Amino acid sequence: MLTNRRPLLRPAAGLLMAGLAAFALPATAQQTAPAQVAAQPSAKAPTDFVQGLGDKAIATLAQKKDPAQTKQVFRDLLNQNFDLTTIGRFVVGRYWNTATPEQQQQYMQLFERMIIDVYAERFSQYAGETFKVTGGQSTGERDTLVTSQVVRPNGPPVNVSWRVRNRDGAFKIVDVLVENVSMSQTQRSEFASVIENNGGRFDALLDALRQRTQTAQAR
Amino acid sequence: MAYRAVPRRPTLESLSPMRPGPLSRLMLLAVAATALAACSTSTQQATTPTLDGPPGQASGAPGTVVPVNNNDPLEPVNRGIFWFNEALDAVLIRPVAEIYRAVLPDPAQRGVRNVLQNLRSPLDLANQTLQGDWDGAGDVVKRFAINTTVGLGGLIDVAGKNGIPYEYESFDQTLAVWGVPEGPYLVLPVIGSSSLRDAVGFGAEFYADPVSNYASNNDADWFTYGRAGLTVADTRAGYIDVIDDLKRNSFDYYAAMRSLYRQRRDNWIRDGAADPSQLPDIPDYDDGDAAPPSPVRAGQGS
Repeated sequence: MLTNRRPLLRPAAGLLMAGLAAFALPATAQQTAPAQVAAQPSAKAPTDFVQGLGDKAIATLAQKKDPAQTKQVFRDLLNQNFDLTTIGRFVVGRYWNTATPEQQQQYMQLFERMIIDVYAERFSQYAGETFKVTGGQSTGERDTLVTSQVVRPNGPPVNVSWRVRNRDGAFKIVDVLVENVSMSQTQRSEFASVIENNGGRFDALLDALRQRTQTAQAR
Repeated sequence: MAYRAVPRRPTLESLSPMRPGPLSRLMLLAVAATALAACSTSTQQATTPTLDGPPGQASGAPGTVVPVNNNDPLEPVNRGIFWFNEALDAVLIRPVAEIYRAVLPDPAQRGVRNVLQNLRSPLDLANQTLQGDWDGAGDVVKRFAINTTVGLGGLIDVAGKNGIPYEYESFDQTLAVWGVPEGPYLVLPVIGSSSLRDAVGFGAEFYADPVSNYASNNDADWFTYGRAGLTVADTRAGYIDVIDDLKRNSFDYYAAMRSLYRQRRDNWIRDGAADPSQLPDIPDYDDGDAAPPSPVRAGQGS
């Protein structure tokens, strides 16, 4: 894509930022929009949750352990704070029902490993950005959208939103939006495309995930 | 709709305004041809401005899946053009962008970007006005007045530092605000992700831009070409890392781009306002057929 046209690049930027910025940065979060949060008391706790997560991530990066250790900390953070099952189910969409129970189980394992690899890698590339939670608004019955801003040393700030769900009393992230681009939505259309372009075979997706895992290990 | 947005960077769109020289004519022709081709094959989809198709719920009995409606009837052709663009990017555009990024100091790059944004002012103003966004139009005028004078011909974004950020407005957004459906997804040669509506908007701005028309009427076509080249280099340079990451981590790069393009476009139409009602519906999946918790949590093994 030659693309330098906005449609191509911009979106991509979104994705990347998500990676780089989104998580790693949650560091210096200060709540800048108390008014907005106060207006919606129910949104307060989720903003604190995202804030706390950011603080932990930054603290980890500040310790400057070796990269493998840092990655492992991020893996744990992701495991504890992302609702990987919900994300995995959402991004595979209706194809879930075309899979056998064995395929479903394999898919979940592969997906979780993949998503953790990808994000742990991205978050460990922290490069001096600052992160602050700017507000929260409830979305529908289940979720709160916590908005935050990642300020980069160069270039305009990036808006990252965290879709937080209360699962059995614990907050879990179910989607990350970078400049209003949903990571889950994007992945969902990719997965659909992979399956559709392989004659609707669910195994094609499993193969792609396996390949991805191997490539990641080789890196 | 809300009008506050994050500062937008200039886009290739800003290079559109070449005056019909031989090269630009050719590009326009390519755009028109693709758009027409799209037209003829996809009349029924053209009226459904879907995002990525409806959030796919299980439909019917397990095992029967209705294909997702990506509103991409020309997918095979689009994929061909997409990979052509990819090749062009690999051999020419990315290398140029990399040199641009490496050679030019950061402040200079910011200056270039600011000037390019400032040059888009007439188009931004026209689009804000056509959308009936008077506040937005006022901001464009203020930005142009401040940045052109105090900002030394647009080099410094003084207005942005004082609370009037740049807001990207295109004719595609204007058409969207008017209720024109996006039409099928298109990948244009060289230009990249687009839609029938976006292609039309691009073509319109191409001819209408006062800046390049002025340049061309004064025998200064070099200005327009230079502007186009800088726009490409600046935009691509800003996304080198992002795109590398995306390519490395995507399962179907083409499909990822298509989804990203649409989401970004919708974001522009809303002028960057978060709209919870636009979020995909993510259910709770407690329906018992969820996979049993994996015995090995991801990450521990590798």
